[in-house]
Amino acid sequence: MSAWPPIAAGGVVIPKFGKPSECVVQNHQFCAGWFIDHFSSRFLTPLLVHIELTAIAVGVGLPIAFAAALISRRYHWFERGFSLFAAFLYTFPALAFFELMVQVTGINKFTAEIALVSYTQLILFVNILTGLRAVPPDALEAARAMGLTHRQTLLRVELPLALPPIMAGIRIATVTIISLATVAAYIGAGGLGSLIFDAIGTGFKTEFIAAGGLAVVLALVADGGLVLLQRTLTPWTRRSVVR
Amino acid sequence: MTVAEQASSSCAEIAFRDTTKQYETRSQPAVDHLSFEIPPGEICVLIGPSGCGKTTALKLVNRLINLTSGDITIDGRSIQDLELTQLRRGIGYVFQQIGLFPHMTIQDNIGTVPRLLGWSKQEIRTRAGELLELVGLEPGTDLSRYPGEFSGGQQQRIGVARAMAVDPQIMLMDEPFGAIDPITRDRLQDDFLRLHREARKTIIFVTHDIDEAIKMGDRIAIMRDGHLLQWGTADEILAHPVDEFVANFVGADRGLKRLRVRTLRDLHLEPLGPGERAGETSVPITTSLLDVLSLMLSEGRDVLTVYDKDESHPIGTVRLEAITATLSPDATVISA
Repeated sequence: MSAWPPIAAGGVVIPKFGKPSECVVQNHQFCAGWFIDHFSSRFLTPLLVHIELTAIAVGVGLPIAFAAALISRRYHWFERGFSLFAAFLYTFPALAFFELMVQVTGINKFTAEIALVSYTQLILFVNILTGLRAVPPDALEAARAMGLTHRQTLLRVELPLALPPIMAGIRIATVTIISLATVAAYIGAGGLGSLIFDAIGTGFKTEFIAAGGLAVVLALVADGGLVLLQRTLTPWTRRSVVR
Repeated sequence: MTVAEQASSSCAEIAFRDTTKQYETRSQPAVDHLSFEIPPGEICVLIGPSGCGKTTALKLVNRLINLTSGDITIDGRSIQDLELTQLRRGIGYVFQQIGLFPHMTIQDNIGTVPRLLGWSKQEIRTRAGELLELVGLEPGTDLSRYPGEFSGGQQQRIGVARAMAVDPQIMLMDEPFGAIDPITRDRLQDDFLRLHREARKTIIFVTHDIDEAIKMGDRIAIMRDGHLLQWGTADEILAHPVDEFVANFVGADRGLKRLRVRTLRDLHLEPLGPGERAGETSVPITTSLLDVLSLMLSEGRDVLTVYDKDESHPIGTVRLEAITATLSPDATVISA
């Protein structure tokens, strides 16, 4: 973090990467050869850490938001309270939030995850609640009349029918967290953000663009994967005739 | 023809006993001391204007709405004493909005209650196929489709199939054909009556359409403001409406409606004279009196030859006077 704010680049020598190519020495915008040579040694681990950060944040955020949505259906006061709380967390500036959390839990991944999970809550909570409320009332009446218990109704009827909005929420949350997790490197969470911070410090353009580019590609791939998952989970949405 | 004679022992009797539903927010009860008994295997139609309490009364039976006082019994057992999910799983429920689960295939929709009861996948598949065929759909292709791929009329057929999945003794039908175009509705009604003849169930059927009530109901309960105004067969209600309200409700053409619910079976036919040839115009004995009358008027005849139901042998003749005589309120139906 000693290199903050970034130093202007120009004719920088980067000793720690071994014998530099011409492109690297000149610090061109992007040296593909260097990126390919150093992908597994320098980029793979941060990429995996980044995926891990995101997966944990969404994976932990989802059950919390889901529980909050279920409680909100029963108690209206809880819905108001939780939305306010989640909105407050969401609007909090990321850097300030990380810095604040460090005071409580120290510089580590755990601190980063607390912040990242907090950022998922508004999106996931609102989408889950919207999804559950959009379940057709006639399907619920049928479920009740057929003697399904509350739990059976939730698992077999409401949850599957709420999947499209819930999946939409998971997509937005995932892409948001992939982007935000780069900032979490500031408090030592690792991931692609640490490479970006490094590159800002050294002025090495290839590393900067490669790390940033990987975050973008990761976001696109994750989003695409979730779309595919949604299509697999909700076959009925594509099999309706217009009447 | 009454139904009791055909009712199998597997049908249940439903009895309303001073059944009352009072919502706290309203001054008048939604259902007010309703008492009647539905014999096993009969279709009882609840009918009345909007807000008369007919749907509430129906939903009291499977406790979608809880009654306030009085009781409802099924084969003598109070519905209050039955476990809620068990009670509901044993009662088929069909309603206007159908309520198929859009995310489940037709097989899974029909298999919902069977699965809860622990049937195997193979048993469910077989049963779902049987039922689809019964309601006139194609088990080969339709089992794996989703509800959104079917028309409203087809969806309601599937809804009926789903309600019959575990062969319940009782079915509750809340304006099941109300949202369906008249031609399709007529076919669904006919098909449902055919189904009912094959597999008797005790059915409570809610409608606001008097013609549907006359067609479907073995017995009709006319309701208003939560009260039962009149209870009887279609013929009794058409012949002797208890008050002005019921008379208006069943319509000024109630005489003609009575002719529709009766067939030539309900008349004493005049025997064919020896050597008498059947006339050119003939009708099978299953024809409704309304159709016979209309045929006589359009053909300008006052006597027709009646054939047996296979239309192979003449069995008698019917005269115009015999039909008009049945219109007198006191004329009794011979088979009743």
